[in-house]
Amino acid sequence: MREVVVALAGNPNVGKTALINSLTGAKLKVGNWPGVTVEKKEVFLKYKDTNITFVDLPGIYSLTPFSVEERIARDFLINSKIDAIVNVVDSTNIERNLYLTTQLAQLAEFGIPILLVLNFWDEVRKKGIKINTELIESVLGVKCIPAVAVDGTGVDTILEILVSGNLKTPKPITFSEDLERLVKRVEEDLRSFFKDRCPYPVRWAAVKVVENDEEVTEALGKLGFDASSYRAEAEEIERLKGEDIATIFAEERYSFISGLVREAVKRPYERRMEITDVLDAIFMHRVLGLPIFLLLMYLVFKLTFDGSAPFIDWVDGLINGFIAKWCSYLINLAGLPEWLRSLLIDGVLQGVGLVLSFVPLMLFLYFFLAVLEETGYMARAAFVMDRLMHSVGLHGKSFIPLVIGFRCNVPAILATRTLERERDRKLTALLVPFMSCGARLPIYALFTGVFFKKHQAEVVLLLYLMGVLVSLAVGVILRKTVLKGESPPFIMELPPYRFPTWKMLWNSIWMRTKAFVHKAGTVIALSMVILWLFTNLPFGTSPENSLLGKFSREVAVVFKPAGFGNSWQAVAALIPGTIAKEVVVGALGQLYGVEEESASEKPTEFADDLRQQIKGFFLACRDSFYSMFGSVKVGVFEMEEENTGIATKIAADFSPLSAFSYMVFCLLWIPCIVTLGAYYREFGWSTVGIAILITTVVPWIISTLIYNLGVVFGFH
Amino acid sequence: MKLSEAKVGRTYKISKVLGPPVFVLRLKEMGITAGEKVQVLRKAPLGGPVEVKVKGYCVSLRRDEAEMVKLVPEGCER
Repeated sequence: MREVVVALAGNPNVGKTALINSLTGAKLKVGNWPGVTVEKKEVFLKYKDTNITFVDLPGIYSLTPFSVEERIARDFLINSKIDAIVNVVDSTNIERNLYLTTQLAQLAEFGIPILLVLNFWDEVRKKGIKINTELIESVLGVKCIPAVAVDGTGVDTILEILVSGNLKTPKPITFSEDLERLVKRVEEDLRSFFKDRCPYPVRWAAVKVVENDEEVTEALGKLGFDASSYRAEAEEIERLKGEDIATIFAEERYSFISGLVREAVKRPYERRMEITDVLDAIFMHRVLGLPIFLLLMYLVFKLTFDGSAPFIDWVDGLINGFIAKWCSYLINLAGLPEWLRSLLIDGVLQGVGLVLSFVPLMLFLYFFLAVLEETGYMARAAFVMDRLMHSVGLHGKSFIPLVIGFRCNVPAILATRTLERERDRKLTALLVPFMSCGARLPIYALFTGVFFKKHQAEVVLLLYLMGVLVSLAVGVILRKTVLKGESPPFIMELPPYRFPTWKMLWNSIWMRTKAFVHKAGTVIALSMVILWLFTNLPFGTSPENSLLGKFSREVAVVFKPAGFGNSWQAVAALIPGTIAKEVVVGALGQLYGVEEESASEKPTEFADDLRQQIKGFFLACRDSFYSMFGSVKVGVFEMEEENTGIATKIAADFSPLSAFSYMVFCLLWIPCIVTLGAYYREFGWSTVGIAILITTVVPWIISTLIYNLGVVFGFH
Repeated sequence: MKLSEAKVGRTYKISKVLGPPVFVLRLKEMGITAGEKVQVLRKAPLGGPVEVKVKGYCVSLRRDEAEMVKLVPEGCER
């Protein structure tokens, strides 16, 4: 069995990850903005008699890294043993893309062949661009394959070539006379100094030495190779051309490519308006851009809530009315001891069931977020928001990690890798927890369902906006105190709008929802068991007098100013909520549910019951459609009060104001243990400490403020 | 003339990119370099970034960076 390592390299947002997904059937996250992939990912594939390891790398414009994620890609290409590079290029924008190809060609020293994949070939056809692939092949000395990553066109050819080993090693380009002579000399010196053991590809290192690249000259210096002796000659060339030496190299590369592109690519006379231009005129309008962004976010929440509400009712009924009933019937039948019955039904099923009933909500939210991400709107939102971000000392690119935070905070913290400076990265990452992630939505759904039934979407949008405002305020404070400094350049590519394929959308929704359900079955179920223990120990006491009950009632004093200190259950739910935010909902379900006796009588008939549930599902589909697209008023299918006992208990313990204060607290409170882990991996312990400090002090201050202002204005 | 002062819809030719070498190099790698044509597509409100088309793709630059790009007019479009 042959083993082959293939690295995918290319500019940001050219479809490297989409190609890997097509090549291997993997389901890695894709999107239409530069910087979706921020870490190195490996996917294995057995094709014929070869084991191929595909390595997906973050996008790079050149082999000179500016940010963390670019460095990851660069270091891998230079330091690892690679059998072939698949250089993915956006063939609608071939000139800029080939710049990187000329740099990759310098790695030829290692004998690494390059396969040039011309992605977006369908768009090239549609636009009437003619590309002479044979000419490109012969000039660059590589093989060229036209492909469409999202629908798999060209994938078989690529695999076939990779397996056959019928690959070509490119010829590095020759620079102008003076430059070439100098590079050659460094090359020879490197070769005679290191013999065969040069730590870098020789040609690449020689160019870097002439460019006076700090990192490489220093590394070579440590090994005893004096790179400074070429400085004088390089400076001579700089004087002659009146430019920085690295810039001269870049210019020569570009003029080589420009020449090639002029010969090989024929563009038709460009039509005045393309779809992207029309859409941008709307979405990036001077005045309307920002209101449109807010309107879009509002629509996302409105449709998410209206569309999912009937399904949530249905799942709730399915779990609590159907599954719970039959489970406890079976448990009674099996004659399990009382404590075990209580653990399973009151402990695990109550909590996990409540969390799972929000799966439809997640499906809807992830669907709309995936649409925004995969059409290319995200990069536009960053453009529109840059001014606002800049005025509080944030980077325009910070906006993208923050928006990803709406889906989940963990990838959002990783996404800060696209920022060039460590300080900006840290600042942005520390603000991410204030972005309300999907896991927090069930909490809002539960409380708004009780107190703000008519205005669920509006209240939730308000919460999201509060999160954003708080993050901006905290950003200003951090920028003025701990993390001072200038904000770096903001240069971002704006990709054309693209239609997301159903497969892409489905992958995105499926992976996320699967993770949510998986979490409910593992982490949350386990938390529920632990929570049950603490609410039942010492055994036989009432929940208020249990370990957790006593402790929470002591701690509750702290939350009196914020308005929800009189409910020990609410306070107790926050504690396991640090493990994962959905646990708050699960814990409330368990804590408010404990006093209830589960129905254990044998109900009607199993088959009848099942039929009822299936019928319920179709009714839910109909209701969802009506409520998303108007016509029927909400009153028609109001949640049946009797099946949600927890709702009445919450209504008794909270007022609308204290419920809002509680939601705000949950919004800003430590997101979850995995997020803290991400901080540790990206920045180390001290940042974990700062993050915990910020996400405990800030929520307390804000919800106290809101509650007291609310009381003053008479909302209580 | 600076890119930050350029008119929306017009096409210009870049005459020089100023600033620290690292910045000049990054712009160059993205194709924003002397001799290249740029079309100014739009400017974000309140002194926000500028979107330009260069080498057939769209890129956005903040005003501060756009200040560093010097232009000469390119006559009429195309």
